[in-house]
Amino acid sequence: MRRDFGPYPLWLRCWHWSNVLLFVMLLITGFSMHFSRVGPPPVTFRTVVVIHNTAGILLTLFYCFFLFGNLRFGNARYYLITADDITPGMVRQIRYYLWGIFLGSPHPYPHNPHSEERKFNPMQKMSYLTVMFLLFPTLIVTGWALLFPYLLPNEIFGLPGIAPWALVHTYTGYSIFLFMIVHTYLGTTGATPGELFRFMWSGVGPEPTATLRTPDLGERAGSHGQVTAQKDHT
Amino acid sequence: MQCHKPSDTTIDPARFAQSEHGAFDCTFCHTTGFSKFPHTGTRAEMRDCMDCHKERKLARIAQAVKASVHAKMAARAFRCTNCHSPHYFIPASRMKDVSEAILVANQSCLGCHAKGDTLADKDLDLARKHAYLFHAELHLQRNECVACHTAPGEQTMHLILPKSEAVKDCATCHAQNSMLATKLYAHLALKERTQQGFVNAILINNAYLVGANRNRWLDWGAFGLAGLLLLGVAAHGLGRWVFARSRRRRP
Repeated sequence: MRRDFGPYPLWLRCWHWSNVLLFVMLLITGFSMHFSRVGPPPVTFRTVVVIHNTAGILLTLFYCFFLFGNLRFGNARYYLITADDITPGMVRQIRYYLWGIFLGSPHPYPHNPHSEERKFNPMQKMSYLTVMFLLFPTLIVTGWALLFPYLLPNEIFGLPGIAPWALVHTYTGYSIFLFMIVHTYLGTTGATPGELFRFMWSGVGPEPTATLRTPDLGERAGSHGQVTAQKDHT
Repeated sequence: MQCHKPSDTTIDPARFAQSEHGAFDCTFCHTTGFSKFPHTGTRAEMRDCMDCHKERKLARIAQAVKASVHAKMAARAFRCTNCHSPHYFIPASRMKDVSEAILVANQSCLGCHAKGDTLADKDLDLARKHAYLFHAELHLQRNECVACHTAPGEQTMHLILPKSEAVKDCATCHAQNSMLATKLYAHLALKERTQQGFVNAILINNAYLVGANRNRWLDWGAFGLAGLLLLGVAAHGLGRWVFARSRRRRP
């Protein structure tokens, strides 16, 4: 039986996949500029700059939409960290990825479309908070600064004014690229490798099939009050 | 200088003293016809730059000038002193920093090549002519005109090209093998090109150029981490597959 997957409404899915598309474009064009070389390239430096700037401006608009959606539709509550998320939450989640997932143990924080309070496991919360509310704002602010370099101070810490902004922008982009590798891989840890991607695309997921309590993990259901059994993860 | 006291001469004696020719008497160049008043000497009778500057490098520069658009358009009227003031010339290596070298070099060009009575008008005119560049003002402030208005491989920077042939490929400068390292920064060629991991570190004296100023250590660090992550997730995924298969086979 399938149902609408409430925590992933249409606005959020539209933002997510637009963000993926724009960020990949920014990553490719960013690498192209960072490693540009003399000689006939497939696309000229000038064209690459235009694409990068346009994608960056669009990404900013979509990010503002993301912030608005979070406040307007209540999605922000899923990012709030509780004391339980740090310990034992993170410990459970890391132990699951390092050990339990291989043994077919149930997920300590399974997806529960009925939950009004929890959508992310503690590791997701931490990483999404860092990426969406620290790295993305840094990337956007430094990106906009580089769109208006003549407004930047002439010198910062003995470096020409543009250099610190450009360095922070570039290596924040690298950091989000590293996040994307792990994020994409962990997307395959649903009941089947494609299940979570389909959730995120259609917003429709399977109804939890069974519940159980497992002595080795204790009372781990967080706000659900129960643990949902997961299918084989591979 | 008994007659030409600092107050009534057009030459600033302090600046002249600091210049490359500051140690010479006036009559070293102003030779025939300048010993009596009124002076009867003419410019044609003065020493020519090449009378003294005969070394090989200057010969290369003279050849480049002959092939340049300046020589073609202005022919014999065009002289070294049109761009290089014989009274105030200082080589870039003796200047305070690259910014000063750029300012002095560009002032020579702007004397003829920008419309407008004030510096602001000239800047506006130039910005309009270079509107095809991203952030034209920055490019004009932080680069020498001749860096783009000479051929990329031409290191004397005296073979000025017609504007239609000026360098317009951004990657000529915005790349690891940046043209600027051999032109604008040629006088710093002995300085290490790579410092604290930055490629083209000498360019950071003046500006940060996307493509030319990346840090190798940070790049390698980021790619190393990405490689380790990819290996890690591949191993993790393989482990999941192997364990899942063994569970399925279990009775």
